Amino acid sequence: MSGKRGSGTKCELTAAQRRFFGCLSLVLIAAVWQLMSMRIGKSFLLPSPADVLGCLWENRAEIFLVHFPATLEVILKGGVLSVLIGAVFAVLMDNSSMLCRALYPILTATQTVPIMCLSPIFVLWFGYTVKMRVTAVVLVNFFSVTVNLYDGLASTDRNREELMRTFGAGRLQIFTMLKMPSALPYFFTALHVVVPWSVITAAVAEWLGAQNGLGTYSRACMLKLDAAGLIAPLIVLSAFALIMNAILNMAERHFLKPVNGGREVKK
Amino acid sequence: MLELKDVSFTYQGAAEPVLKGISMKAREGSFVSIIGASGSGKTTLFRLLNGLEEPDSGSILIDGKPLSEHRSYASYMPQQDLLFPWLTVEKNVMLPMRIRHCPKEECRKQALEMLRQVGLSEWAEHFPRELSGGMRQRVSFARTLCAGGKLMLLDEPFSALDSITRLSLQEWLREQWAELGRTILFITHDVEEALFLSEKILVLTGSPANELKEFDVLLPRERTREMLDLPGVNALKAELTGLLRKEACV
Repeated sequence: MSGKRGSGTKCELTAAQRRFFGCLSLVLIAAVWQLMSMRIGKSFLLPSPADVLGCLWENRAEIFLVHFPATLEVILKGGVLSVLIGAVFAVLMDNSSMLCRALYPILTATQTVPIMCLSPIFVLWFGYTVKMRVTAVVLVNFFSVTVNLYDGLASTDRNREELMRTFGAGRLQIFTMLKMPSALPYFFTALHVVVPWSVITAAVAEWLGAQNGLGTYSRACMLKLDAAGLIAPLIVLSAFALIMNAILNMAERHFLKPVNGGREVKK
Repeated sequence: MLELKDVSFTYQGAAEPVLKGISMKAREGSFVSIIGASGSGKTTLFRLLNGLEEPDSGSILIDGKPLSEHRSYASYMPQQDLLFPWLTVEKNVMLPMRIRHCPKEECRKQALEMLRQVGLSEWAEHFPRELSGGMRQRVSFARTLCAGGKLMLLDEPFSALDSITRLSLQEWLREQWAELGRTILFITHDVEEALFLSEKILVLTGSPANELKEFDVLLPRERTREMLDLPGVNALKAELTGLLRKEACV
């Protein structure tokens, strides 16, 4: 999960071409799905895309006005807290090698326990509340922020750091003027992990127990053997994750351009 | 006046010292080159002079007072330009002043003046990647000037450049020195470069380095490359080269 993201061996496509191929692959997948569903002929086993869209339309008020806002609250609160907590750990570890040695194994250990196994404990602590679901999101996500950001801060050019010291710079100035810009690409790498995993974890936590949320809705539909109703909220979550990712790409291009010395960031 | 008295230094965890009982003097406004074999401790000497390291023993005095009592007395220019790629040329030059919390407008004015001095004022809004190697070194020099201090420590600033750029920057540096009147300590591997630029050459000798041998360059302040072929200069060049060869074999 750590480190800089790939340096382009992928073929160079224009933004319009990328959008076209993206849409084309989506249409192809939907077509194959529709054909398979028609061939099987049992909508409780494999509902067609048309069934799913029909379900979304029929239950639009419940899905978009009740459950989606509940899930969105968990995703946003959990995502933001993951970034903040992860960043605090990264900065602490970068500032003290002793703290780094002490914290790193503990933080790694937090990632070895499956969230499905830990969630019942969070239910015992917090009940079926937003707090429980946000805790689950944070536990899954903060580590990728810590590791990536710590790598970014640690990769700062030591020669530049020393040069700043000869200019009389203090730790805070070195952090804000040198380390933060150097670590920015790593920070965005972490965000690209946080966005989809916040969505996934929020839904999983809702499956385990919640009053509202797309995970809760999906689970209720499963108990009624309503496969279209089970898939519909997942489509909403995927679409939301894709939109968030697009916004993140735009932010990345905007913020990394100056870091790249005015060079456009290819995404 | 800069003075080193019996300075010794050992890196943490190293068995042998890098410098052992080094002494030297440089008068204000002079141009002194320091040469020596690779790994002889030239850069370590600069690290001590710009406060990145503390000597184990001995003292470093500026105008008779210990180094610790001075603030911003020296500015350092490293081998690589170390410009910040995300800052424009102007903002790179402003960096040392921003660190000292100078008002932004004042920093900008001074940075533009320094860029004018190094002949790059029209490049102020460009990013370092848009500049050639020689231009980047000149920006780095402008930044070093903005760092203030009477003493400039230039650590092989032209070593990474091609020979043509290098020659032109040597001439340019001499002009800058004559105009600015600052004391320059210049590390180089190149004997000819040292002869062309400096008034005095110090050769770091011994293993560990325990002496800075002094050689005066008997050339006028206004000098040309042709003067390097004068018999006296040629003899000095041969002597310095011989000494460096001997040191490299130690």
